[in-house]
Amino acid sequence: MDNDVIFQPLQFRNLTVKNRLFRSNISGRFDNYDGSGTQTRINWEESFARGGVGAIISSFVPVHLRGRIMPNYAMIDSDDKVPFWRALGDAVHRHDCKYILQLSHSGRQRDNPGVENFRQKGLSSTSRMDTFHGLLCEAMTLQQIKETIQYFADGARRAREAGLDGVELHASHGYLITQFLSSAINDRTDQYGGNLQNRAAFLLEIIRAIRKEVGADYHLQAKLNAVDFSNALYPWEKKGNTLAEGIQVAKWAEEAGVDAIHVSIGSIFPHPLLPPGGFPPDELNWWYGTMISSGVLGYFNYTMFHFRLLRPIFTFFWARTKKDHPIEAVSSQYCREVKKNVSVPVINTGGYQDGSVIRRVISEGYTDAVSIARPLVANRDLPQILQSGKDLPDKPCSFCNRCLVNAVANPLGCYDVRRFDGDHDRMVAKIMEVFHPSQFSTAAPGSQLM
Amino acid sequence: MSDEMIIKTGEGKLVDEVYESPVDRWQHRVRGLVMLIVLAVIALIVIYLLWYFVSDHTREYSDIQEHFKYGSIGSEPGGTVLTPVGGVLPPYLVFKTLPKVCPDKLPGGYASLGLVFEPNHDMPIGVSRRWRLGVEQVGLNCAVCHTGTVRETPNSQPMIVLGMPAHQLDLERFFNFVISCSLDDRLTATNVIQKAEDMGEHVSLMQKLILSTALIQRLKLQTLEQQNRMGFALNPPIPPWGRGRVDTFNPYKSLQFNWNLRALPQSELIGASDFPSLWNQRPREGMHLHWDGNNTSVDERNLSASLGAGVTPVTVDHASLQRIHDWIWTLAPPRYPFAIDQSRSARGKAIFDQQCAECHSFGGGKTGTVENLASINTDPYRLNSYTYIFCVNQAALYPESRYRFTHFSKTDGYANQPLDGIWARAPYLHNGSVPTLLDLLQDPASRPKQFVRGYDVYNQEKVGFVYDTPEARSAGSLYDTSIPGNGNQGHLWGTKLPPDQKRDLIEYMKTL
Repeated sequence: MDNDVIFQPLQFRNLTVKNRLFRSNISGRFDNYDGSGTQTRINWEESFARGGVGAIISSFVPVHLRGRIMPNYAMIDSDDKVPFWRALGDAVHRHDCKYILQLSHSGRQRDNPGVENFRQKGLSSTSRMDTFHGLLCEAMTLQQIKETIQYFADGARRAREAGLDGVELHASHGYLITQFLSSAINDRTDQYGGNLQNRAAFLLEIIRAIRKEVGADYHLQAKLNAVDFSNALYPWEKKGNTLAEGIQVAKWAEEAGVDAIHVSIGSIFPHPLLPPGGFPPDELNWWYGTMISSGVLGYFNYTMFHFRLLRPIFTFFWARTKKDHPIEAVSSQYCREVKKNVSVPVINTGGYQDGSVIRRVISEGYTDAVSIARPLVANRDLPQILQSGKDLPDKPCSFCNRCLVNAVANPLGCYDVRRFDGDHDRMVAKIMEVFHPSQFSTAAPGSQLM
Repeated sequence: MSDEMIIKTGEGKLVDEVYESPVDRWQHRVRGLVMLIVLAVIALIVIYLLWYFVSDHTREYSDIQEHFKYGSIGSEPGGTVLTPVGGVLPPYLVFKTLPKVCPDKLPGGYASLGLVFEPNHDMPIGVSRRWRLGVEQVGLNCAVCHTGTVRETPNSQPMIVLGMPAHQLDLERFFNFVISCSLDDRLTATNVIQKAEDMGEHVSLMQKLILSTALIQRLKLQTLEQQNRMGFALNPPIPPWGRGRVDTFNPYKSLQFNWNLRALPQSELIGASDFPSLWNQRPREGMHLHWDGNNTSVDERNLSASLGAGVTPVTVDHASLQRIHDWIWTLAPPRYPFAIDQSRSARGKAIFDQQCAECHSFGGGKTGTVENLASINTDPYRLNSYTYIFCVNQAALYPESRYRFTHFSKTDGYANQPLDGIWARAPYLHNGSVPTLLDLLQDPASRPKQFVRGYDVYNQEKVGFVYDTPEARSAGSLYDTSIPGNGNQGHLWGTKLPPDQKRDLIEYMKTL
């Protein structure tokens, strides 16, 4: 297909991506416990580059140990991490693919704090616990805010030093920056709380600090919630930021110097609307156990997942908002509103796989590009399939979210055994390919996974 | 602290002290409270359920007459939920709705069986309510068999006379209806709940749950067992009891002793006899009580009668029975409610003193003793239904309890009864085979062969109830003296008196 909108290059201020398909933020527990990177992650990322996406946005990369979601994720909290990221970037670049590192801080939302964080609460805008797992936190002091802003700036500097193509601020899905932005979470009474402008100050100061650190000619994008939907799970929670507020934050971010907006929704992660699709109770029963001691509601949740009789209670809450939204292109309508109000390109995430849908959202002005995670985990060659003129792979992603639930305990991969004709061993073998070649094997890195 | 001391503190203590995360601290802070709340809720639920299923309460009536009519003597099912004992009636909601569930089996409702209803009471006289085993239960009390009605004319309001034999009550049909409808396919929880709500009852969620999950099913099983045991005694070929009568001992043989009634000779299976009156018990103490005089203790006789109503030593309400005992101990017989010809009565007294008093007056030489069957020669079935082996078994009943029987004996005739309130005790003889006093004074061959029992309009001339009018026939049921057990022979005393003296005598007997 000539002139396919999906395969038109996307020109940002400081970066050009060969097509409109971005690998969205996703990874497994592939790295060393202390956040130093491994060959496995290089294998992982390179496999997507080989599959043909235009750019890869890394998974959540903590800028500080205290802001880590869970151990075994590569971090960018110190200069000695730069060589790893350089090696990773080089591997990706060999496939004409760009690599954007997502600068992140979990705030209170630490699914598994790890032994280093075991005795500290998470840092946040608030001292009120997270409403899903009961993850405890304490409100950051002004000094801690100042330090954290600098951690982000340092992370950006290291990414540039590593030769990566840009950075993304993770300001959505309930992590630290969302915890400042969201009216449902931020209960501060100082200059970082109260009205929207105050709540956005933390984000905008980070953007300015990054610009100060890396200059104006380095790609910087922000992943933002168009809408928070903070009461999607429990109706007694506050709603959080509205679409109008989401648009306003995007405009301010643009003014502060970002080159693109990555639009999503949901002020916790996972959220009933994002990633859209299932929330398999059997997998929750098997793997949520690793999170029981992370939050004070862990055991309560586990009880709900464990007993079949209780599952419908949780499912009722999980499904109450979801049923009003599509799975595919779940946030596209909100993205369109954001796009109308900013002049930088926007990328939209949430339920993209079908080529016809992707073409439509791009050509009809909903977004300039889409970012995809789960369908690419299922079919690394999805870009090639779409380019061949097919809209869907033979065995497409079902959006079952089994990968999501497994991620807290197991190597990431596609856990939908139906895609392997019910053959569990074949499914596991496919998942384990990410470990090959290993650091000590002679084969070319990432040559197996595809 | 030395290494040795650390080791001595033990692993648990070390772990607690060294590793406590914020999550631990939070949970330790609230866990006690949460556990307390959970335990409190569980405790409340347990207490509620215990209260619901273990509590035993019934309405107390300060007025003794109300207590007699509606108070519980403990005849409702009791014991425990797992092992219920006693009772002969289904729970309140079922009992109340049975006539609506099976209207074809009892078109006239319970009143058509001779149960007496008063305004502002949804249960008839003689049916008590009591909360037991998590359900409002109903039971029979003394008044069901010992409350009668009397009218002067067909248009009069009935007088309700407490302690009087329930001459209008067809107890056998009542039991048969309850058994039959309880086993009817139409008796379902849904139907009972709907009918009860139609009748204005509020049926709580818990009651619906109990009815739907266990109660109806258990009721049917218990009723089946009841039917298997005593159904044979309540159906042909055993002659029907008819109104105003009960076969005291044959259901007893099956219910209490689990005897196979089919194995007994028919001569022992027919024993229906009249309900007696309850008044004036004190002077009866020591007399031979029951028609055949098989017991000389008023208390034992009372208790034995209450067993027939469904009481057991486990479920008996002793205080309640004691109140009734104390009341009937001195309860005066009802005064004759119509006019009495005083001159005739005076002449009749002389005849009575001469002809009757020795056997039938308090203080009479033979009053309260057993008259040999050969001498009285009335119908033998009732006497023969109470057998020696049955008597022996009664002595073995509840041997560990304070209620063990020690006064029953087998006799060879029928007891001479004091005749207090005799006007209200019609029909006469132990089996009610003679409708009026005047007829009793006739030669047996001249006594009515067939008559109606259960009609409550009074025949002042013959002293007894009207038994041969069309109204009587439509209200009562026919009594046939040719049926085994119904014989009207015997008791020839007074039959040879001149007619005028007979009139004088029965005029005097109205005053007793």
